[in-house]
Order: sequence, then structure tokens, then C-alpha cells
Amino acid sequence: MNTPLNTPRDASVDVPDGAAVAEISNLRVEIDGRPLVDGVDLRLLPGRVTALVGASGSGKTTTGLALLGEHPPGARVSGEVRVPGGGPVGYVPQHPAAVLNPARRVGALLYDIARERVRDLPRAARRTEARARVLCALADAQLPQGQALLRRYPHQLSGGQQQRVVLAQALLLGARVVVADEPTTGQDALTKSRIVEELTAVAAQGIAVLLLSHDLDVVRALADEVLVMKEGRVVESGPTERVWLTPRHEWTRELLSRQPQFSGGEEPGGAPTGAPVLHLQDLTARHHRTQVLHIRQLALHAGECLAVVGRSGSGKTTLARCLAGLHRNHDGRVTLDGSSALPRSLRDRDRGQLAAVQYVFQDARAAFDEYRPVVEQVARTAVRLRGAEAPAATAEALAVLAELGLTEEQAHRLPGRLSGGELQRAALARALLARPRVLICDEITSGLDTVTRRALLDVLAGLRRERGELAVVLITHDLDTASLADRIAVLDAGEMVEQGTAARVLSAPSHPFTRRLLAATTR
Amino acid sequence: MKGRSRFALGAAVIGVPLVLALLGPLFAGEPGPRAVSFTLGDGHWLGTDFVGRDVWQQVLHGGRPVVLTALAATVLAYLVALPLGLISALTHRSWLEELLMRPLDVLLAVPSLLLILLVASVFEPGAVGLALLVALANIPDAARIVRAAAAEAAARPAVEALRMQGETWWRMAVGYVGRAMLRTLAADAGIRLTGVLYLVATAAFLGVGVAPDAADWAVMVDRNRTGLFVQPWAVVVPALLIVALTTGSNLLFDAALDRRTAEKGRQP
Repeated sequence: MNTPLNTPRDASVDVPDGAAVAEISNLRVEIDGRPLVDGVDLRLLPGRVTALVGASGSGKTTTGLALLGEHPPGARVSGEVRVPGGGPVGYVPQHPAAVLNPARRVGALLYDIARERVRDLPRAARRTEARARVLCALADAQLPQGQALLRRYPHQLSGGQQQRVVLAQALLLGARVVVADEPTTGQDALTKSRIVEELTAVAAQGIAVLLLSHDLDVVRALADEVLVMKEGRVVESGPTERVWLTPRHEWTRELLSRQPQFSGGEEPGGAPTGAPVLHLQDLTARHHRTQVLHIRQLALHAGECLAVVGRSGSGKTTLARCLAGLHRNHDGRVTLDGSSALPRSLRDRDRGQLAAVQYVFQDARAAFDEYRPVVEQVARTAVRLRGAEAPAATAEALAVLAELGLTEEQAHRLPGRLSGGELQRAALARALLARPRVLICDEITSGLDTVTRRALLDVLAGLRRERGELAVVLITHDLDTASLADRIAVLDAGEMVEQGTAARVLSAPSHPFTRRLLAATTR
Repeated sequence: MKGRSRFALGAAVIGVPLVLALLGPLFAGEPGPRAVSFTLGDGHWLGTDFVGRDVWQQVLHGGRPVVLTALAATVLAYLVALPLGLISALTHRSWLEELLMRPLDVLLAVPSLLLILLVASVFEPGAVGLALLVALANIPDAARIVRAAAAEAAARPAVEALRMQGETWWRMAVGYVGRAMLRTLAADAGIRLTGVLYLVATAAFLGVGVAPDAADWAVMVDRNRTGLFVQPWAVVVPALLIVALTTGSNLLFDAALDRRTAEKGRQP
């Protein structure tokens, strides 16, 4: 977080209307001769939202941080960054928990800043003024019932509330410019629309907002001005509507066309027949003593893709982890191929059962051992679960990785040197080497930009074509992703509220919760 | 190269006490006649100690027992603590974890010096016995730190992914979890070495394991304290050597780990 600065709030008021409150000209940031950002110009006007869009690694965050005067270690920086009004620049990072001191209550975090800002008042008036400012900042950051939050610790807040507390800190500092870094990544549709409202309200107070995002829906809803970045350069800029309707640069066209068009789901999913490959009966999962999930019955057939949708905390990941044997604390029967009951824990499953149900983790980077080359880790699946010889397993790993679009050179790198999308492909390859019957994908596209997400979903669709028998469980909060599935199950607060073919659920949802989710997505 | 210069600094700092400890006895020669306690000059260029022996000669002789006992005790403590901590962090059977860790808590509650004195009153240990005792006193702490560090690493998705692959216990525990907590362990080993050095010294002061007037850096610091303001070298030189030993090992570990991180490359 920014350290509280002693700039009086009034310092920025003398900026004339229409003049930029922050300006970047010809910014170039390079590391070891490799440019991260090259020749970027940017003007932020009060009350306007400017969006930087582009794939991950296109220099969005580097540009945003340059406004704060922050640069990556070892970077060579040229160009000019000016904040004419002076005063601090607020920064709302992607993971707000990382900038809130976990050992202090929200109230303390805010009063620390407020106290600095009321130093010049008479001692007696300071306390009331500080309190008034804290409450005002909370209301401005769309936390009207903020008073109740003041006694809580950051970990007792939801991700969205943490984000708003960080925003309130920036407002308390009197920031005239706020940089929001991927504020909607990994959030469900309802939370996303709240974030859009919150940033709109901030801009309405005359604050310039710089939005760094690869979420094009949010950019379109929020931004007045869009800059499209590719490999550190701005390839196109202009008013949002103009860029959307008549994109001039080829890359912009690709970026926009790759955006999944939310469809009602036109093709009817083939009706599943025969015995289900995975069947689940009366599943009740708990965290410690609290019941978090109850599902009476769910079946998955060979070759079928089932999407499990719901907000965060709805129990969809718990369901996936129960199936994979990663969440042991559950009752009920999970049967494979209609006959053998799967042991509740991974540790009690034999090789065949492990191979049959494979799981791909949300955070691919965390799911790889950072000290061993990717191909080595991928190949181990074949060695351990299918008894392959090491050289044969490596050859097979390279073949599957190539099929998923990773070159041999990339496969021999350490996980740290691959991008998020590349790692997620490697994670898919690792699971596929077991030749699974059921592949569980837990939010594998969240946190990826549209181009990478699209490419990964194409890979998944290709896999389903190639391996006709493979059943896929797609855990997602994103209805666009879910529309690729044959069937959709909707979870809310640990209960399955609706299930049916994708076309039916998306075009004629029967449960009010599904309707709300759909409405929030299509707005 | 920043990493390389740090490596060189670490090697230099640890090199002095190590060379003195290992080669010192070869160059020390015969002890001369005793002089007056706590004096300077008169052919003793670091002065004399509490019983009038030449401090430089004591320094040359006193490294080997300290370094060997302390290193042996630290290594022994980890030899037991590592498997205990790793097993209890990676098991999902809480009874096994309780069985392994609870007895250590009992040991933890007994002050280490009291433990050493109790056992010493029965067995009269030599240098080897002392190393064993000091190791025993250090096992509970070390096992707890290993377990805490390992539990954090064992909860990562990478370990779940390894389980999903049906990976062996050894590859999970040593290959991944062990590697992931190396930095914590390296820092702990440096601190533990210092603690062990002074536990050995205190035991010696109380007459356990080492003779109370033995040529031993830790014993020297302890026994020569009384003359600190008359003849500081008898305390300062062995103390500095012990500090160099522990600081140097910390620096060396850090530099080595940094280099491996640097090789891993930046994340895109």
C-alpha cells in the first residue's frame, strides 16, 4: 500500500477542469534489454475511466505501476510520468488481501491514514473529524454499512469487501487517480456487476480511474477510453464504443472476436445414454462440522461434458474435490462404472481408480513443483499410474504436450518460465497421461485473458473430439465457459438448485438464482 | 554478480574459524610454561587466560572439539527431527501425528540444561555422549519447526497434484516438501548451531562432557569472562570465531539458495 503522504487534500483542487490529472509520455521500461513497455502515452482525466486491455504480459501492470512511481527490480526506465495535481495515486491490486495488514482490524488500517490527514486541526476536533472522514471514505467506496466492518480483520472480509477497503484507503489519502488492477478476475457475474458499480461511483466523484483488465465485458461497461496493448506497445486507442464497433488494428479485432459471445446455447446436447461412468448418490460434504454441500443425485456419462456453475462459496469446488478424493470429509456413495465404489480419500484409491478420475487445479502455477522441468513432472503420471518405462513416458509426455500446443523447448523449461496459459495446458497433459475416464477441470480458465482462455477452451473441445469416451466436469463461475458443456448443474449455497441440458438451462432457467446469474452476465 | 560476492563473503567468514579449528592443532606446538593470569604482552600476543595459558595456543587447540561436537549434535538432531516432522506433516491420521509429536512436547517442557545434568549424573558422558545429549535436547524444537514448515508446503496444490499422480511418499516428502522448506531449515540450522555451541559450553562449565579448563572456544568465553576488562582478547577472540562460524554458515546457505532461485529464472 502507499505510505500515507502528508499532501493536503486541497493541493489537487487547483487543476483546471479538463486538464489531465496524470500523464505518461513515451514511457519505456526494459529489463535486460527486453522491453516490457515501449513508447506508451497516456492521459487520465478527472471523472473518466481509462482502460488498458491486452493479453497477460502485454505491459498493462507495468504501465499502471509506473503511475505510482514503481518499477520492476532491475528495470531501465525512460520517458515521463507526471501527476500535475500532486498527491498520491491509489492502487487496488488484483489480490487486495496482500496489501492489508492481516494482524490489524480494518478500523485501525483506516484510522492510521485518517489521523495523518487531520494533523493540522486543533487536537479536540481531530478524533471526530478522523471518524467522519473514515465513514465518508467507506461510503464513497460503496461500503455504506462500513461501520460494522471496522471491528473485523481483513481475513474476515470477502474478496470484494477487501477490495473496497483498499479503495477506501486510497480515497482517504485524497488520491485523485486510482489504478485498479484486474479487479474482476476470478469473480462471478454478480460480484462483477457490483465492482462495476463501485468503480462507476468512484469515477462519479471526479476521480480518474485507470482500469487494467482483460475482462472485455467489464471494460465495455465501465471505460470511456480504451488503450489496446500488445507486447508493451499501444496498438490502438480511442473511445470505447469506437474501438468496439470499428476496430482499426488487426490485434484489436482478434481480441474482440475471441471474446466468447454469450449465446443461449443453440445446439442441443446429445442425450446421455447407457450406464453412467460416474454416479453420485446422497453426497454430503462438510468443512469440520459445517455442512457445505448436499447433492442427492448426479450422474456423468462417457463422452459428456457437465458444467457445474455457481458463485464463489457455492460448494462447486468442494464437489469437484469430493469426486477427486481430495476432500475426505463427506458421506455418500460415488461409484465408478456403476460397480465399484470409489474410496473417499485419494490415499485409499488404487492406481486404476486414481487414473480413472483426474483433476486439474485452478492455480496451475501452484500445482507444479517449481524446481523440476515441466515434462519430467508430466511424464511421472504415466510412470506411476500406468507402469510405463521412464523413456517411453517422457516421449508420450512430449507428444501430448505438443498436441496441446507446447513445444519441446517449452516442455523442458521450469514451471516459472512458462505463462499461466502454457502451464494450464501442461497441467491438462499431466492429467491426460493417466488416460482418465473422467477429467475434472476446476476453474482452469479463470485468471487467464480472453485470448488465452479461448485457446485453452479450444484445446479442451479438441480433446473431447479426439477422445470420445472422455467425460469432463467443468467447474466454473462463468456462464460463457459453461455454455460449451452438454449439461449444466447450478449450485447455490451448497444445494443443487437446477440441472439440465445447457441449452435448456441457459435459455429457460427455472430457478430464480439461475435467472439472476444469467441476468448479471448478459447485462 | 551480487550473489557471487555474497557467496565469497560467506565463504571467507566461515573459512577463518573452520581452518583454525581443523588445522590449528597441527601448528599449535607444545604448550609453554604458564604465566600470570590475564596479562598482555610478554611473548603472548593475545595475552594469557584465567590460568595463565597462552590464549593464541588455546584458540588453535580449542576449535576442533567445539566444531565437531556442535556439528555432530546439530546433524544428529536433524537426522531424527526431519523424518518425525515430515511424517507428521504428511499423514492425515491425527493419532499418528499425536503419537509422534506429543512425547516431544514433554521433552520440550524440560529445560535442556536440566536434562543434560540429569542424564550426566547417571552416566558421566564423554564428548560423544555430550553430542548425543545436546542433540536430544534439540530434537523437539527442530521437529516442530520441520513439521510447521512441512505442513505449509504439504498443503499446497503441488502436493495434491503429486498424490493425484500416485507419486511415492519419498518423492513427495523429500523431493518436493523437503526441497520447498530448505530455506527455513537453513535459517534454523544456523540458529541451532549457535544454540548448540553455547549449550556445549554451559555443559562444560558445569563439568559435563568437557573438562572445565579444556581448550575449547566456548569454554574459553565462559571461563575468561571474569577477566573481560583486564584482558579482553581471551573472550573476544573465541567469541568472534564462534560468531564467524554461525554467521558464515548462514550467509553461505543464503547465497547458495539465492543462486538456485536466480537460476530458476524470473516469472513472466
